[in-house]
Amino acid sequence: MNERLFGYQHAFDHPVTVWLTVFIVGVLVIAPLCIAIAVWSGRVVEPQRTELRKRYLSWLLLAPLMVIPILLGAFWMMLGVMLLSILCYREYARVTGCFRNRLISLVVVIGMLMMFLAVFDHWYGMFVAAGPLTVVAIAMAALIADEPKGYIQRVALGVLGFMLFGFGLGHLAYFGNSADYRPMVLMLLVGIQMNDVLAYICGKLFGHTKMMPKTSPNKTRGGSLGALVMTTSIVAVIAHYVFEGSGLDHPLRLITLGLIVSVLGQLGDLMLSSIKRDVGIKDTGQLIPGHGGLLDRFDSTLLVAPATFHFIGYFQGIGLDQIPRILTGPG
Amino acid sequence: MADSRQPPVNEGDDTDTGTDAGSSDSDWELTPASDLNLPVGERLRSLSRERGLLDTSVGFLWWSFVRTYMTLYHRLRIVGRERLPLRAPFLLVANHASHLDVMVLASALPRRLRHCVYPIAAGDTFFESPMAASFAAFVLNALPMWRRRAGAHALNQLRERLVGEPCGYILFPEGTRSRTGEMGSFKSGLGMLVAGTGVPVIPCQIEGAFRALSPDRKLPRPRQLYLRIGTPLVFAETRNDRDGWRQIAQDTEAAVVALQSAD
Repeated sequence: MNERLFGYQHAFDHPVTVWLTVFIVGVLVIAPLCIAIAVWSGRVVEPQRTELRKRYLSWLLLAPLMVIPILLGAFWMMLGVMLLSILCYREYARVTGCFRNRLISLVVVIGMLMMFLAVFDHWYGMFVAAGPLTVVAIAMAALIADEPKGYIQRVALGVLGFMLFGFGLGHLAYFGNSADYRPMVLMLLVGIQMNDVLAYICGKLFGHTKMMPKTSPNKTRGGSLGALVMTTSIVAVIAHYVFEGSGLDHPLRLITLGLIVSVLGQLGDLMLSSIKRDVGIKDTGQLIPGHGGLLDRFDSTLLVAPATFHFIGYFQGIGLDQIPRILTGPG
Repeated sequence: MADSRQPPVNEGDDTDTGTDAGSSDSDWELTPASDLNLPVGERLRSLSRERGLLDTSVGFLWWSFVRTYMTLYHRLRIVGRERLPLRAPFLLVANHASHLDVMVLASALPRRLRHCVYPIAAGDTFFESPMAASFAAFVLNALPMWRRRAGAHALNQLRERLVGEPCGYILFPEGTRSRTGEMGSFKSGLGMLVAGTGVPVIPCQIEGAFRALSPDRKLPRPRQLYLRIGTPLVFAETRNDRDGWRQIAQDTEAAVVALQSAD
């Protein structure tokens, strides 16, 4: 069988994969100690304490769910991301009410499946075409109800949903078509999640001025700036080892990559806050205790995945040395 | 009921009243699912449960199966199909002697109505255990009615949803399956759903279901089934009070009985 798709014995071929896995396990071990110290020193009081505990316990389940498929093989990662994108769309559709247009939802899900088929197949042409084709299909499907009132809204909600969860997360899965996808994807995941955590901690330490009080009242300029500086450095350093010797391994480019992760991560966060505020709800779901819905956890990934995909792709290509169209190609 | 959420009120109701192109009501209506953020168990039993893509597909498969089964195994004959409503809201009521009844009524409905039809099922039979509740909710698309504590609040919630969504209900106003095959008297809760609303009540009469699958049997026998659909009754002028409700129950019961001796 294909080594890239199912070769779990290659999980730790790349040293960065080993470090990042050790780092993630380390954080999960150390975090309860940090929480305990913060509680003992009186810095964290009761409502926050339960909240932190819940969040930590959720991470204890989430982290393996995210890391293990990546380590096992590209197939499992792609499958995981596909399920994630469908579940995220479901949550989004229930929040915005666009799930009531079943035909549009069906087209969005079929579009996602088409896109992920191209991901599994390593068929870049189809992967790119699935986006515009689905948008056109949504515009057509919305006609069938013969109800011009609200047509633009129906189409727009479907298109936004597809673009965020099909197209956005689809790019994360497409990384799996690169032979050495493990360090790249782990780097992105660690970068994105660290960005969230760092923004939270920096906000607590030196957050004074609110950044966007109407969109997200808890976010401060200090938190955002702190996360920007720290995440960019962390990602740049990891990326240096991931892309050692390639065209991307140049300080300015590495820092740009880090900036993309941090800025787009925070924008993704704000984007979901805007959606929630527009609808008038607090959480998109309650699947993950302490976090809210799936979207509350994966919002920052949505914009980062396509942007970093094309940035990395520009300098070194993604999966160019791998056989394309492994399922649909001419035998 | 545990939740006090209101069913969604669709903004599309008043499109017939001649909205001109220059009107300024172009604001987007973003109405989240009315059962958003309910825990799973509560969501299954919620009267404001809304169906997604997966539930709808499962329900569609089940409905196709039921249709085929009714045609092949019970050779179901339907009389008066043309009296079925063309759109929601509506209420299908029938005599109740068997679990087959709801399948008979569901298989008579055209595909275009099927997605917005909710059988009202006894909470203590269909919604107690998690397994039964999942089946009733996801496959049958049923909404629970708790017989021992069928409060005015739950009935009001159902009434609002009927008109607001709008949707159709399948209801057996006897309140239970007949143990003898003879039809019992209709309960006035039926009236609380439709009094003064103009929602058509379609009286239906099912014959043969008791012989095919009486309450004491486990598996159905291949007896032929008949469904007779009567002329819709409208209670737009009936007052929404105790007398009105009783009147509606009596009228509907008489209409179902009349179908029995129709041929």
